Amino acid sequence: MNLERFQLFGERMRDFISRSAGSFHPHPEPERDADSEFNALAIELFKLQYDSVSPYRTWCESKGVKPPSVSHWSQIPAMPTAAFKELELTCLPIEQRHAVFHSSGTSRHQPSRHWHNELSLSLYEASLLAWFQPHLVPEHGRDEQCPLQWLALTPPPNLAPRSSLVHMLGAVTSRFGSGKAVFAGRPASDNTWLLDVDSACAMLDEAEVENAPVCILTTAFHCLELISGLAERGKRIRLPLGSRLMETGGYKGRSREVSKQELYNMVRDRLGITPEYCVSEYGMTELSSQAYDWVAGKTSRSSSGLSHETARCFRFPPWARIQVISPETSRPVSQGETGLLRICDLANVYSVMAVQTDDLVVLRNHGFEFLGRKAGSEPRGCSLMAK
Amino acid sequence: MKLPDYFLADLPSDAQFSSALITEACLTLKRNRERFLAGRSTASLIDTIASVAADWLDPDNPFRQAALDKGPSETGFSRETLEAGLDALFGSITTEGLQRLVLQDLGHLDRLERLTGSETEPGSSRLAIARGPELLVHITAGRLPNPPVMSVVLGLLARSAQFVKCASGTSFLLRLFGHSLREVEPKLGACLEIAEWKGGNEMLESALFAQADCLTAMGDDSTLEAIRPRVPPQVRFLGYGHRVSFGYIAREVLDHHSFSKTAASAAIDVAAWDQLGCLSPHLFYVETGGRHSPDHFAEQLARELDRLEAKQPRGNLPLETAAAIAARRSIYEVRAAFSSDTKVWKSTDSTSWTVVYENDPQFQFSCLNRFIYVKAVQNIDHALRGADPVRGRVATVGLAAPGLREQELAHRLAAWGVPRVCPIGRMQSPPPTWRHDGRPSLGDLILWTDWERSERSFL
Repeated sequence: MNLERFQLFGERMRDFISRSAGSFHPHPEPERDADSEFNALAIELFKLQYDSVSPYRTWCESKGVKPPSVSHWSQIPAMPTAAFKELELTCLPIEQRHAVFHSSGTSRHQPSRHWHNELSLSLYEASLLAWFQPHLVPEHGRDEQCPLQWLALTPPPNLAPRSSLVHMLGAVTSRFGSGKAVFAGRPASDNTWLLDVDSACAMLDEAEVENAPVCILTTAFHCLELISGLAERGKRIRLPLGSRLMETGGYKGRSREVSKQELYNMVRDRLGITPEYCVSEYGMTELSSQAYDWVAGKTSRSSSGLSHETARCFRFPPWARIQVISPETSRPVSQGETGLLRICDLANVYSVMAVQTDDLVVLRNHGFEFLGRKAGSEPRGCSLMAK
Repeated sequence: MKLPDYFLADLPSDAQFSSALITEACLTLKRNRERFLAGRSTASLIDTIASVAADWLDPDNPFRQAALDKGPSETGFSRETLEAGLDALFGSITTEGLQRLVLQDLGHLDRLERLTGSETEPGSSRLAIARGPELLVHITAGRLPNPPVMSVVLGLLARSAQFVKCASGTSFLLRLFGHSLREVEPKLGACLEIAEWKGGNEMLESALFAQADCLTAMGDDSTLEAIRPRVPPQVRFLGYGHRVSFGYIAREVLDHHSFSKTAASAAIDVAAWDQLGCLSPHLFYVETGGRHSPDHFAEQLARELDRLEAKQPRGNLPLETAAAIAARRSIYEVRAAFSSDTKVWKSTDSTSWTVVYENDPQFQFSCLNRFIYVKAVQNIDHALRGADPVRGRVATVGLAAPGLREQELAHRLAAWGVPRVCPIGRMQSPPPTWRHDGRPSLGDLILWTDWERSERSFL
């Protein structure tokens, strides 16, 4: 297959990403952005993917949608996440599939797959770095920047080559981690991850003594593992100001469940990182862009913990737009209403850009509040990698 | 209609109970039983129960009206679904039905009153009398009124004081039934308690179990496993675990004459109680080789469900449940786009009903709420191989087949271990004589005294 058209589109996407990464402006109303650059790119990419990803074309045909009938990105047929388990949704021919990411889950569940070659991986990295930076290292590039040390509670990239999250953390630590980076997890035989609490503690102890701020990158489940590990050892670490946490993924299907607020309170108690420095990430294997619910170190208007929480809201970057779809009517919901999250991610150039998730969210100011994986679905998300 | 605070479940949902209160309630029930129930005749009890049930069929009955008016918000079923379900339930509780039940399980109508022989034991020198438990405790689950109402009816026939513990948020219809019984016969109402709390409350349940002579429990297997070890050894435990049901449609009924009628009956089974009972079908196996193919049957079933939706709409669903249906639909829509072995029909602008046709006999658990699978099979063996994962956990098979084939298929299903086979369209309406999970429902509650008479007593 001739991938040149994808390569050229990828170049334009890199340009679009670098121009729009710093923009925190809210997305325009979906109805009003028909002449936007986003819309033009989306329609062009839809044509490319319709032509080249044959199972996607079949899906569009079954929905009665062809490129000439699409004038707005919201009309592009979304592929249900379940389809990524059963179909090969990629324009890459087999010899070009140099890497594949699998969604997490127990080994009896068939995972979603996302194939990459070097070009698509580099676009993935460009997208993830461009939105990670303003949320986790907003001071990057400024004078007051202080070097961070990095602790990922996952296996290192060479031991988890099929995890898109671990690939992301590898990219992030190489790009922003001039200092030390420790990966304190290791893969277990049953497709889960084990956390080496001792090596994590050793790294954190040292950082406390050296007064070096740390950025902890973790699934929520492993974060809880670390907290319990510290509690069992009777340890409380006081990480220096500027230390921060990025956690991702829910706990569905796991025995221990705590709310985000409880988790952040425990993080404050055991690690000395305040909730203002805790950022939640929403990402999935099928996508190339992520959403964040906070900027590390941003102070909330109110000092009360409650309103701090209500102000949190996940936002994707300007090159990805969301719709929230009513499961009952299949139509978009209004502000403040709940439905299933649908994402149109322009960085998903080599796969399918429009993805329909099973995740229930509340639509808030073009961002969303995450309610949970829908009942009865297969549990998904990186948290399950933890034993 | 405002119900008086009579049962514990009538109290506000935040009412706190103590174990002492539960014990006291049980002791009161036992005293009332001794005074008002132990000496009653079977005939008079059957009269009372049948008359209460008949009242429920009367459109002017205030309890029925309350069930239909408040039921949609209290239970999640639409008014029309409640109407159809209550009619089927109370229509089956008749004097004849209850008499047949006593005869079937106990051999003689007077068996609970006096030492007697049955017609099947002529010339025997042995007489026997049946005794019900003094206090019968029921742990119920789910939103359907049928299981708890039938449990209470059986307990009344057994002359037991009864304490029904409902899962939180599920006591509404049973309470109405309790109040209707109390209105007809306050003394019988005084032998019944209905309470509601979240299962697993050790303090209340230990007090309750300690007073029980016999305990029935319904729920999923993990719930039963959690209850069983906490029941004192002298208390008889009757667990009714989670069961599934399906339908089987023979090729002969896919001819022009019975095709639409069979599909219409199948739709009734799917719509009854929004498919949420153990007796509701998860799927229909349809034989190939008939005049209409299995996927035509699926399409016809979709039409019938659509028609039924107009006159008996499905209840409103919580978002999570609607989301589960939406996600499940999308899996099959993807498959349908790629292969004619999968086809999907669904309600527009709603999750009200869904039919998924698959050319694959593998048993599938439906996400319910009127989401039904139709699966093509060559014959009954093909179907039963597909259903092997649920073998031993099946409650009912609805069957549509003509004459001799019906008999042959029923025989085959019995050999495979199905405890109940009934016509399509009647899956959710078993008669009172139904043997729940293949066990005699009334017979299981009682204990016997056999009297082997000396020769002298014949004189």
